[in-house]
Amino acid sequence: MKEEVRKIQELLERQAYVTDAAVATSVYLAMALGKPLLIEGPAGVGKTEIAKALAAALDTRLIRLQCYEGLDATTSLYEWNYSKQLLHIKLQESSPVSAAEKEASIFSESYLLKRPLLDAITDPARSPVLLIDEVDRSDEEFEAFLLEVLSDFQVTIPEIGSISASHRPHVVLTSNRSRELSDALRRRCLYLWIDYPSFEKELQIVRSKVPGIGEALSSELTHVIHAARALNLSKVPGVAETLDWAASLVELKATHLDAEVVRATLGCFLKAQEDVRRFETEAINRLDEMLRTGS
Amino acid sequence: MLSNTVRFCRALRDRGIEVTPAEVVAALRTLHLVDRCDRRETFLGLRGVLTTRVEEFPVFEELFDEFWAQLVPGEVSPVATTQESRSVRTRPVPVRSREVERKGLSFFLKNWSASAKDSEPLNLPGASNIESHSERDFSRFSSQELQEIARLARRIVRKLASRPSRRWKPTRRGQRVDLRRSIRASLRTGGELAELSYKQRKRKKTRLVVICDVSGSMDMYSRLLVQFAYAVQNSRAQVETFVFSTRVERITGHLKNKAYQRALELLGETRGWSGGTLIGPSLRAFNSGWPTLVDRRTIVILMSDGWDTGEPEELDQALTTLKRRAGRLIWLNPLLDSPGYKPTTRGMQVALPHIDVFAALNNLESLRALERHLVL
Repeated sequence: MKEEVRKIQELLERQAYVTDAAVATSVYLAMALGKPLLIEGPAGVGKTEIAKALAAALDTRLIRLQCYEGLDATTSLYEWNYSKQLLHIKLQESSPVSAAEKEASIFSESYLLKRPLLDAITDPARSPVLLIDEVDRSDEEFEAFLLEVLSDFQVTIPEIGSISASHRPHVVLTSNRSRELSDALRRRCLYLWIDYPSFEKELQIVRSKVPGIGEALSSELTHVIHAARALNLSKVPGVAETLDWAASLVELKATHLDAEVVRATLGCFLKAQEDVRRFETEAINRLDEMLRTGS
Repeated sequence: MLSNTVRFCRALRDRGIEVTPAEVVAALRTLHLVDRCDRRETFLGLRGVLTTRVEEFPVFEELFDEFWAQLVPGEVSPVATTQESRSVRTRPVPVRSREVERKGLSFFLKNWSASAKDSEPLNLPGASNIESHSERDFSRFSSQELQEIARLARRIVRKLASRPSRRWKPTRRGQRVDLRRSIRASLRTGGELAELSYKQRKRKKTRLVVICDVSGSMDMYSRLLVQFAYAVQNSRAQVETFVFSTRVERITGHLKNKAYQRALELLGETRGWSGGTLIGPSLRAFNSGWPTLVDRRTIVILMSDGWDTGEPEELDQALTTLKRRAGRLIWLNPLLDSPGYKPTTRGMQVALPHIDVFAALNNLESLRALERHLVL
């Protein structure tokens, strides 16, 4: 294994992010090749967490752009502060300054309200981590616009001129596959698929993120979560749910799982009425077996 | 190494993984960046650069074995590579990759340089598996596949139903300043711009009407179609769903906001399953029974194999009326993908001139293709 990859793995692990070779290699290559990293996988497997851990590990800013339907260039790149500009014009009306000077001050950066994308490429000090979260939720038009920004990290603002990146941000995109992303965007990125973690990995995550948890409880709980994932639920519990549940159990001072405790805390990892019913009819009577083997 | 990599990329391309020259360059740069003695690291690095979706992983894995063997000649080939890529929830591997024979593949790899000629019979999905797929009983759909259908259906609906329009509408806090309205409003304050008005793009609201053939000839696909209709119905769009065999029936209420099991029960109570097919009269009944349902903003999706036992003239008339009212008419035909099928049945012949989009819908693959290529 290359020294750099190991170093990245170490750095990420120091941020309590349990990682593996696939993640570390991709992150390393994304940085070395200067390409955005596109992370796909089911909900709740820690896709967003990678960007957070990376920002913390590099000790740099994390700039997050949460995508949603209808997100467009103005809300993601910049807005023009019209009110301030108009007030300024009003105030200047009576002042004895020349027309040329007035004009120069009307269009200046002080009316520019930076939104995440512009913020990310104008960082004066160092490369921030730009997280474009759930890019599949945005519209196709926005994706095309994003492509333009990501290809040369330069944007043009009519009022001021073009601005190019002083420090190229490390870009991380995440997608839950609710929509097929365009091939053009995919090609521009390094691709990483993250699946639900293996039992060992998840156990490690639980133990590192919820320090107060006992050995027995953590392994029992991970077994139950793995069994629940096999149940074909409508909302499959992700790692975030596992951690929620673990934290709640610690809060409740539970040391072992039994049917009663599980029933009382089901809401931590099952988020739909049908799923709760399904779990109660199909799984809870097999709990003992589940705690041991996770099947 | 250079030529090996280029050949590897060509082989990937021949197996359906699009690799652009830029990606070949990135692959070569990657090989300089990773520890080339570490099989796993090289594998992970190249996979990140050369693939663009998880469905491509299995093919990549296969070809990488060969690539690695050529790169490191002494190495005993494949140790288990990735397990994580195919655990519990990974979506089903496309047929193409699963069913390529090992023998054919190794032959192909040994003859990389000649691949341009030889690849043709090998990189096709193969007529045989299309056939096996269409023969398959869809009641044996796994729940993962059902989820996949639902997911694709939602995407298709999104594509159809929600498009930004060119028109603007005023909003409270919008994306763009509406100068005209701002200035108009400023008259109230004597020409002072006190408050700004904003505007944003309108969204085109489209209604979907799904009309599904549930006659005997469609039995094999009914599971797929019901699942598709169910997912479409429960998406955020405005959807009305109908089924017909010899008569037409509205099932919107059976599908909407019901758990899937309950919806199936309710559907079981409707009559007309697996009966004969009278497309023309059914459509005419639809036209006259729900005359205001379809307008220019409505997209009609007809799912049928076109085997009509009624009079072609009647079908022609009904479709003419429907088409005149509807914004778009999409016909999804489960038979279209079968080898040798030509839409020559009388029903289809009559229908073709009226149809805007004619596409196959017989398996997951065709649904994926529909999602990717649907343009209106």
